[in-house]
Amino acid sequence: MLSTGTWEIHLANTAQVALDLLKRQSVDLAVVDMNMPLLDGIQFLNLLGKRYPNLKKVTLTAFATEEKRSQCLANGAELVIEKPRTPDGFKSVFAMLDDLVSWTPQQGFQGMLRRVGLQDVIQMECLGRNSSVLEVRYEQIHGRIFIEDGSIIHAYGDGLSGEPALQRLLALPGGSFELMPFAAPPKRSIEGQWESLLMEAARVRDEGAAEAAPKENKDGKGPTSTMPPARVVETLICSGQGEPLFNDKCADVNARVERLKKIAAQAAELAKLVPLGNFDRLEMQFTGGRAIAQARADRMVFVRTAHQTATS
Amino acid sequence: MSDTISQWMSQRAAQPGTLAGAVRRADGQCVSHSADPACPAASIEEVLANFEALAALCAETSAPQWSTWVFEQGQIRLVERPDGCRLALVVRNETDAAAALDAASREFLTLSFET
Repeated sequence: MLSTGTWEIHLANTAQVALDLLKRQSVDLAVVDMNMPLLDGIQFLNLLGKRYPNLKKVTLTAFATEEKRSQCLANGAELVIEKPRTPDGFKSVFAMLDDLVSWTPQQGFQGMLRRVGLQDVIQMECLGRNSSVLEVRYEQIHGRIFIEDGSIIHAYGDGLSGEPALQRLLALPGGSFELMPFAAPPKRSIEGQWESLLMEAARVRDEGAAEAAPKENKDGKGPTSTMPPARVVETLICSGQGEPLFNDKCADVNARVERLKKIAAQAAELAKLVPLGNFDRLEMQFTGGRAIAQARADRMVFVRTAHQTATS
Repeated sequence: MSDTISQWMSQRAAQPGTLAGAVRRADGQCVSHSADPACPAASIEEVLANFEALAALCAETSAPQWSTWVFEQGQIRLVERPDGCRLALVVRNETDAAAALDAASREFLTLSFET
C-alpha cells in the first residue's frame, strides 16, 4: 500500500535467501538492511556488486553515520536511507526509490522539463552520489551539467560557463534533457555542495535574474562577485512529516524540524494576508552567511551557509 | 512619519512588480503603500504587526539582516534596522522589484530618516 502498488516486493531474511531469489527472479532494486545475520549489509552490498553489477542497491539503516554512509556508497549503494518510522516516511522512501529506478544513467534517460523537474533529477543524482552528464536542450539553447560522485563540477550552455550556466539551465521554462554516462568535462568550473548550488539557482530563477546572469570572465572562471565564497555548514533534508532523510552537521534535528513546521504554519498565515500562491521557502540573510528553509508537503529542507574567510 | 520615509516608500511602490510596502518606526508610526488592490495596505500592515513572530523563526546565533518569504507568485521581504524601524515589501517574482530587493533592503538599512 505504501508503495502505491508500483512495486512487487520480495522479502529475504538472510543473504543466502536473497541470492537464491536473485537467481530465480529479475529484480530492479535491492534494499539492503545494514544489520543482517552472518553477512552484514556492507559485505552483502559488495557481493551483490560483483555478481549483479547492474542491480541498483539502496541501504536502509536506523543510524546513518557519516562513516557508515561512506562505507555503503563505496561498496556500491546508490542511496543510504535512514529507516522511516511512520507511514508518511515510508511513502517518501518509496517515492525516492521510484525516482532511483526510473533514472538509469547507464542506459540514458530522456525527460521533459515540465514533467520531471531537472532540479529533481540533479538532486537524485547528487543524493545517490552518482556520476553522470545531463544534456539540456531548449529551443536554440544547448547545455550540459556534469555531476561526479554526487558533486556538480561543471556546467556550460547559452554562452555561459560555471555556476551562471547552471543557473541559466535550471531557469529554462521548458525543453528536454538526457541523462548520459559520465564523461570528464574539459574543466571544473563549479565548487560547493549541490544543495546550496540548487538553492541558489532556485533563488536566481525566482528573482528573474537568470536572464541577466553574468558572462564568465576572460579567464573562464566564472563571474566576478562582490560576495565572499560560501561553504555549507548545515544541511537537513526530511520527509514532509519531518523524518530525517539526510543530515549533515545539524546538531539538533528535532528543534530544526519543529522550526520548519512553525515556518510552514506561519507561511500559511501570511498566504491568507497576501495572495501569492503556495509557500516555497524562507530565505535568511545574515552578516556571516545565508540560510534557506523549505517546508513543503513532500519534503523539508534546511541549508545554512557561511561566508569563507581567509582563515576558514 | 517623516517625509523621507514616505518618499522612499513611494519610490519603492512605484517600481514595476511591487504590490505593497510598509515601514513601521519603533514608536509605532506606520506608512504603507499599496500598488495592487489584491494586496491592500491593511494586509501589509498586518504583516508588519507580526514581525516579531516572523523574525523569531529566522534567528540563528544572530538576527538576520533581512528575511524573504518566497511564494509561488511573489515574495515578502522583511528588514529591521538597529533603530527598530521595520520594513515589509511585497513583490511579484521575476520582476524589476524582485531583482532590486537586496538593493532596496541595503538602502533601507542605511537610509537617514528624519525623526
